[in-house]
Amino acid sequence: MAAFLETTVDKFTFRVDPTCFYNGDGIWVRMEDNLARLGLSDYVQQRSGDIAFVDIKPEGTRLAFGDYFGSIETIKVDVSLTSPVAGKVVRVNPALQSAPEIINQDPFGDGWLCEVECSDWENSRSRLMDASAYFEKMKNAAEDEVRSK
Amino acid sequence: MSKPQGKIVIVPCSGIGKSFGTVSRVAAYQVTEEDRPEQTQLVPLALLVMGDEEYHKVITENQAITIDGCKLACATKMVQQSGGHVMQNFAVLEVFRRYRDFKPQGIAELNEGGEKLADALAKEIDAVVDGASTPAEGDSHA
Repeated sequence: MAAFLETTVDKFTFRVDPTCFYNGDGIWVRMEDNLARLGLSDYVQQRSGDIAFVDIKPEGTRLAFGDYFGSIETIKVDVSLTSPVAGKVVRVNPALQSAPEIINQDPFGDGWLCEVECSDWENSRSRLMDASAYFEKMKNAAEDEVRSK
Repeated sequence: MSKPQGKIVIVPCSGIGKSFGTVSRVAAYQVTEEDRPEQTQLVPLALLVMGDEEYHKVITENQAITIDGCKLACATKMVQQSGGHVMQNFAVLEVFRRYRDFKPQGIAELNEGGEKLADALAKEIDAVVDGASTPAEGDSHA
């Protein structure tokens, strides 16, 4: 597995998985054949805080690019999740029901959210950021936040 | 099963500026001052950290219930490091997962959801205190 891109801002260290693509809301997608695995970026999970509840649309739900596909609730915020791909939800991470904290613990691994059978990956791909672009966006956002304190 | 001889010590999170920390302290006050004042005693975490001798003695001589406001679990770790015995630990996040409608907000003063969550947490602690205070079957009452 390729090494994470990593930056430390203030006292927080944020990682970006170089094998994923990202939408503007910090949802990552990792493609394998035509199956897209979706998750929450490390930056968004750290910024949101300890996750208390996760609701993901059920298997069989059809999504367009940018559709709402679920939410997370932390003590600080409610975050709406927007899909970085178009397709059909074929699997929701079963571990989230009993242990939503795995998103905090392993956002790019065991804390994945759902898997989507893509209907038009190339079109979705053209609207996403690669890891380097997302890394710069995330770093700027984190630094802006520190400066504004 | 042996039962605690003295009061049960309640040690809440000392997190300032976080709603979960406030919930833990409000619940601790409710248990120790209103619900079960005869059976429990509040120990401020800050005094344990400072090495206060009186409270260190209290911790080592009694069983403790800790309330942690976040995953750092400072209250539980500090009691254990002080040589105390944690008979039960509560994590506010876990309690919130059991009472989703009671979303706490506010720091110096909790919102209604926070007050209700603190009350629910206090009642769970009350139940643990009652269980520990009730003589076990076969215990001598003579």
